[in-house]
Amino acid sequence: MTTPYSCRALYVHVPFCRTLCGYCDFYSEVLRTEAVGPLVDALLRELDGYAARRTLAFDTIYVGGGTPTVLPPGQLGRLLGGVRAYADAGEQLEFTVEANPATVTDEVAGVLAGAGVNRVSLGAQSFEPAELRVLERRHRPEQVGETVAICQRFGIQRISLDLIFGIPGQTLASWRRSLEAALALRPEHVSTYGLTYEAETPLRRQRDAGVVTPVDPDLEADMYELALDMMPAAGLAHYEVSNFARAGAECRHNLRYWHNEPYVGLGPAAAGFVDEVRYKNVADTAAYVQAIAAGRSPWGEHEQLPPERRARETAMLELRLASGIDRGRFTERYGVDPTRLFAEAVERHGAAGLLSVDADGIRLTRAGFLVADTVIADFL
Amino acid sequence: MDQNLIRNFSIIAHIDHGKSTLADRLLQISGAVAERDLKEQILDDMDLERERGITIKASAVTLDMVVDGQTYMFNLIDTPGHVDFHYEVDRALAACDGALLVVDATQGVQAQTVANAFAAANNNLEIIPVINKIDLPGATPEDAALEVEHVLGISADNVQFVSAKTGLGVADLIQAIAKCLPPPKGDPAAPLQALIFDSEYNDYRGVICYLRVMNGTIRKGQKVLLMGRQRTHLVTELGKFRPQMAPCPQLAAGETGYLVASIKSLHDVTVGDTVTDAANPATQPLPGYQPPQHMVFCDFYPSSGETYDALREALERLSLNDASFSFIPQHSDALGPGFRCGFLGLLHMDIVQERLERECGVSVVQTAPSVTYEVVLHDGTTKRVESAGDLPDMGTIAELREPIVEVQIITPADAIGSIMQLAEQRRGEFKKQEYLSATRVMLTYEFPFNEILYDFYDKLKSVTRGYGTMDYHVTGYRAGDLVKLDILVNAIPVDALSLICHRSKAEARGRRFLIKLRRQIDRHQFEIALQAAIGSKVIARETIKPFRKNVTAKCYGGDVTRKRKLLEKQKEGKKRMKTIGRVDIPQKAFMTVLEPED
Ligand SMILES: Nc1nc2c(ncn2[C@@H]2O[C@H](COP(=O)(O)OP(=O)(O)OP(=O)(O)O)[C@@H](O)[C@H]2O)c(=O)[nH]1
Ligand code: SF4
Ligand SMILES: [Mg+2]
Repeated sequence: MTTPYSCRALYVHVPFCRTLCGYCDFYSEVLRTEAVGPLVDALLRELDGYAARRTLAFDTIYVGGGTPTVLPPGQLGRLLGGVRAYADAGEQLEFTVEANPATVTDEVAGVLAGAGVNRVSLGAQSFEPAELRVLERRHRPEQVGETVAICQRFGIQRISLDLIFGIPGQTLASWRRSLEAALALRPEHVSTYGLTYEAETPLRRQRDAGVVTPVDPDLEADMYELALDMMPAAGLAHYEVSNFARAGAECRHNLRYWHNEPYVGLGPAAAGFVDEVRYKNVADTAAYVQAIAAGRSPWGEHEQLPPERRARETAMLELRLASGIDRGRFTERYGVDPTRLFAEAVERHGAAGLLSVDADGIRLTRAGFLVADTVIADFL
Repeated sequence: MDQNLIRNFSIIAHIDHGKSTLADRLLQISGAVAERDLKEQILDDMDLERERGITIKASAVTLDMVVDGQTYMFNLIDTPGHVDFHYEVDRALAACDGALLVVDATQGVQAQTVANAFAAANNNLEIIPVINKIDLPGATPEDAALEVEHVLGISADNVQFVSAKTGLGVADLIQAIAKCLPPPKGDPAAPLQALIFDSEYNDYRGVICYLRVMNGTIRKGQKVLLMGRQRTHLVTELGKFRPQMAPCPQLAAGETGYLVASIKSLHDVTVGDTVTDAANPATQPLPGYQPPQHMVFCDFYPSSGETYDALREALERLSLNDASFSFIPQHSDALGPGFRCGFLGLLHMDIVQERLERECGVSVVQTAPSVTYEVVLHDGTTKRVESAGDLPDMGTIAELREPIVEVQIITPADAIGSIMQLAEQRRGEFKKQEYLSATRVMLTYEFPFNEILYDFYDKLKSVTRGYGTMDYHVTGYRAGDLVKLDILVNAIPVDALSLICHRSKAEARGRRFLIKLRRQIDRHQFEIALQAAIGSKVIARETIKPFRKNVTAKCYGGDVTRKRKLLEKQKEGKKRMKTIGRVDIPQKAFMTVLEPED
């Protein structure tokens, strides 16, 4: 059977962590060792299901969560080896695993390297003990460097670090210290996220109860701008709203999301985009495992957008990239030049200095990145 | 039908005292509704009534009730208790010969009990007091009965004690209705005189008129004349509500029912008009009604995503089946074209707005409600304005008069002190105090209407721990030291936000208002200045700092749909706003005035 798109990307969601962080709204629960075996079975079986109906040849694989590296090494190896089997042998594979500091022992690093993992994305978040406490992260700052060292010792050279700004109590100076500490580890890739108070998280409840005070929005803007200044100065170009990388070290897997390309998503609460349908699996490990075991679809919800809305969605996503909306590709995919489809928004935000347009693309300017949501909303 | 076996009566009470539930029991006992079709407050058949658990519109129903082996015809009208809809009670009473005055045995006589009892007495109706909810643990039926006697002067002799919920005592009540309420008077052979006491719109039949035949007989196929309108119609259907519409060939003097005569719009009939025979008309029409008075006014403007025409069509459609609100075109400098609408009260305003959105699918920007002011100009002319924005130049005004209401408050006696304090803050003038019992008091006050319009009732509830109730009616206009408070957004005066208030309160009001307004308006990409001014004098000011950053940090595979929906929702939200200058002002901001003063 032929497929309208070749599906080249795979995401795997591992819904377990050692402890849960107060700000997190990913679907995850505290690790229950006995639940891991059935979960890995289900993940691999779900993947077999997709493979049975189309040819899969992944050249990017991203195993996230949760914290995949808390799985018992044997199970982790079985999972990674199982998904690796669907990689496209001919391509240069990008194989990323998310990890938290202090979850990567020599044994785990050996399993990762052995399965062909060549990129680790590490949740550093902050290098200030007080800020880590607010976030309810259990690691110590120096463990970030230790974890990076272990990965590199096992031959995993591509390291990405996640950082968070806007943490209650954070100052511009402490943020600068975290940025410097991260850069000192010479990662090829850094993500900086503004802290958000997601619905139904403990942190949100603390805010609503007045226990924690969000930082001033102006300070948060200063923090974002500091990252926009410091990263490129250290050789990491700004290529997406929250992402920076050395030339050629951009995350190819995530770029697929931002170009609105298809990907298979596996696991509880995982989203996927296959055959033009965007789906999300049930956010409940037991229900997910049961559905797979019974041969039922684990999809919790799905939607298929009509062409024009899909085009608008692509614009929404590509505007997050420094390269912006690729006019040529957009026209090819949707049969209309984006400067025509979005003439009004392009004109208005262009005049305000928030967008720049040339023959190749429509991009946010630096001022535009700061207010990206305001601009992007007008493309929907 | 033997006229002596007909009983026409209304069920009247304070809100929630159990009128509709009592109607349920009567329907059940008469067998009009099969047991399996019974549900609570069956006559409250509008969605909004069921959702809010209150009666909004009066319902008439005809029951065959067997009493001592005789079959009586009971025509009962269940009425709303809320003060906004008091005119419905007045209309119903004029079609009746008696009334059941329901009083909650745990609450006793309340403000609308008094108002409704007086209305029934004014119509010379025989009243049966019905003490309800005697099944409740806190019920003190004897005390309630004493209050009825003491306050309303209605003899406690034929008081009935019932539980509308369990049915206890309802059989005796039915006996009393048959024995104590009078049968209708009227001559079936005289020229036809029938009162249109209500009307409703039905998609299939057009207008349905609720009729009480006073004299003569009306028949299907008859050519009738509406005496007020001077228009003739052919009667295509007559019938009774049982409670479903059940056609019948004729209605004779003393009977109640409905009339269909291919009338297209509610605006083509006047409730209160008299129906008579076109060939042999009555010499006199019946007294009829005063049209209901619109107490509050506000403007509806199409919100950003809507057009003026869509709003006009929606208002026209809604007025097809609710003739009790008014709308006329209106133009605001800040908000553009819209409509000035008149309502019976704030609940009525809420309901109309909700129906516009729900049933007609248009979203509106609504301005804060206002009472009507009288303006006397230096040239001696007088005019009425229904919003601060419509005031002529203050220099031309000789006198500004505000509406005054008389307010009856019923409260536990220990709250009198707090109420006096509250009244003083609201420029209230004490009139009198009457004890209903050792512990409960009825206070009469005069207030400027404006002072009690918004949050007074909530305040009253809170100082009386929920026990206080009130009723009001407008008594006239009085000159006051009133000023117009202008609100400016980035130096643009927003007429829809301006308000009229007493000079002594203007400054504090302006300051509080801006603080509340500031919370309603999101940060923009530029700074926003808010000002309150009397004439050219700025009395308060606030600024809203611009935002520098507005960007969702994360958007990966799993977030795409969510992020898109979030932005779409944000855009939807913007549609519900009005843009003034370049400032997006949400609908809620226009209602800021209504927030409790703290
Ligand atoms: N326990 C008890 N509850 C009752 C009785 N009668 C009515 N209720 C309850 O009182 C509430 C109000 O009853 P309704 O019949 O809707 O009152 P109403 O007078 O028609 O109210 P409005 O039409 O809004 O003025 C409902 O929750 C009823 O279930 C009764 O005899 N006993
Ligand atoms: S470790 Fe990561 S996925 Fe797990 S709870 Fe913390 S933030 Fe969420
Ligand atoms: Mg009712």
